[in-house]
Amino acid sequence: MSRREGSLEDPQADSSISPLPHLEAKIRQTHSLARLLTKYAEQLLQEYVQHQGDPFGLPGFSPPRLPVAGLSAPAPGHAGLPAPERLRLDAAALSALQPLLDVVRRHQAELNPRAPRLLRRLEDAARQARALGAAVEAVLAALGAETRGPPAEPAAAAAAAAVAAATAATDAGVFPAKVLGLRVCGLYREWVSRTEGDLGQLVPGGPA
Amino acid sequence: MPAGRPGPAAQSARRPPPLLPLLLLCVLGAPRAGSGAHTAVISPQDPTLLIGSSLQATCSVHGDPPGATAEGLYWTLNGRRLAPELSRVLNASTLALALANLNGSRQQSGDNLVCHARDGSILAGSCLYVGLPPEKPFNISCWSKNMKDLTCRWTPGAHGETFLHTNYSLKYKLRWYGQDNTCEEYHTVGPHSCHIPKDLALFTPYEIWVEATNRLGSARSDVLTLDILDVVTTDPPPDVHVSRVGGLEDQLSVRWVSPPALKDFLFQAKYQIRYRVEDSVDWKVVDDVSNQTSCRLAGLKPGTVYFVQVRCNPFGIYGSKKAGIWSEWSHPTAASTPRSERPGPGGGACEPRGGEPSSGPVRRELKQFLGWLKKHAYCSNLSFRLYDQWRAWMQKTHKTRNQDEGILPSGRRGTTRG
Repeated sequence: MSRREGSLEDPQADSSISPLPHLEAKIRQTHSLARLLTKYAEQLLQEYVQHQGDPFGLPGFSPPRLPVAGLSAPAPGHAGLPAPERLRLDAAALSALQPLLDVVRRHQAELNPRAPRLLRRLEDAARQARALGAAVEAVLAALGAETRGPPAEPAAAAAAAAVAAATAATDAGVFPAKVLGLRVCGLYREWVSRTEGDLGQLVPGGPA
Repeated sequence: MPAGRPGPAAQSARRPPPLLPLLLLCVLGAPRAGSGAHTAVISPQDPTLLIGSSLQATCSVHGDPPGATAEGLYWTLNGRRLAPELSRVLNASTLALALANLNGSRQQSGDNLVCHARDGSILAGSCLYVGLPPEKPFNISCWSKNMKDLTCRWTPGAHGETFLHTNYSLKYKLRWYGQDNTCEEYHTVGPHSCHIPKDLALFTPYEIWVEATNRLGSARSDVLTLDILDVVTTDPPPDVHVSRVGGLEDQLSVRWVSPPALKDFLFQAKYQIRYRVEDSVDWKVVDDVSNQTSCRLAGLKPGTVYFVQVRCNPFGIYGSKKAGIWSEWSHPTAASTPRSERPGPGGGACEPRGGEPSSGPVRRELKQFLGWLKKHAYCSNLSFRLYDQWRAWMQKTHKTRNQDEGILPSGRRGTTRG
């Protein structure tokens, strides 16, 4: 599919796609959700670094950006992909983020038990990641594109493996666990922001 | 391997060696094969130490290609670079650190001790937990709302500052039998409180205590023994009404209803009233209103708005000999005294039926009243009714005098009884 096929105004769009107003509304709604969650993700990141102590909140702090199992940051070429492919990657990333955010919340519950706002934000972020991922998949379905992801069982196994790996990281020490949490919160912000951008290109009247 | 020298109660958090995950996960501190990158391991990992103790730590570098050097490594603690004289090179790949007289941890998640390469990149980190063991919690107080639950509050020992996360657990058991139970609903009325919502027995004593635990040890409060019936409190009295007493410019009548939750229980409620002038923050308290649901405030300023509150103490419930616990104050109710031409006597007190004269302006008036009584009364029995009659008479004669002097319009005769 070409880039133009991602636009709602494409006259060559498949006639089997859901009625246009409904799709348009769905895209707008999901885009609004992504925009809101981008703001929340930024707040989560700020709250997170505050509770880990310096140097986490200091400008210039840059621990190694090590890959997290099953999830990486949006690739540099992401923006050049067709819209359905971008949305598929967004949905897959959001789905992978939910269990990782759960792991971070569990560990922070031990490290910062008197930080209820941080713990609540982490819990909310896990739910919101799942909700936004589901909403993006609904948009993909409405676009007539396959929500091509791995079959259910391998996906569940991949999620479990990611959680196990993240848990192993926390077993390696508190500092690595703090770094992992920072990485996960950072990835959450990046992917939610990326999703907002990808949906924004589909909103009629939005940037091409 | 060098380690911190903690105090006698310290527990050093010994972590197992880092696992090398089979998946594509790199954990800070674990080597990556063939990448050409150096990583390191800090020992001890996440130690727990007493305030004032010392720490000796090492940062051991390893990587690919082999032969990584400790040259140029440095330490930071909570983002601040540590003085070079605190470090020394132990061998080609190990940099040691010696810290003395440690301060309490800056954050509960632990102080961040980080080993850096020459270029500033992070090689490894370890979190230090420096603090104090908990001291004995004390000053436990508990109350039961309408005999249905129990809420307890306590004061942490040493005012709670241990620099470490300290867990407080309220425990309770029936004194002569039963197992220890743990309260589960915390922070209900402040940071050091817990609420037990149900399954409480009456007429039998409970033992209650608080256990405080952190990484450096634990402490237990003294045991408080109580019977639920001795610590009962109730909701504030509902339906508090404040109204004028006819035309009496220095009195207000206060009426309320006994708390309904205790209506089926045998108890002798006592009440307290407090009142203040609208623009004042100073409350005047009327004690010992005893077991009645109305009272008259006297000696008030005429033409003034007053706020009034009432609270209840259900002492003697089911025969308890203890004092009971005062309820919260009712919502403020306001009323104003009638205006008068002459200034009021200032604050006063509520007179209970047949009560003793109270202090201040009321006593002065009662003295005058007794003098009048000798002249006009046919019996020497004092009563509030006679006092009211006298006050009404005083007011009437004052108004009549003022009418004669042209101060008040004619036709305003007598007073209305409250």
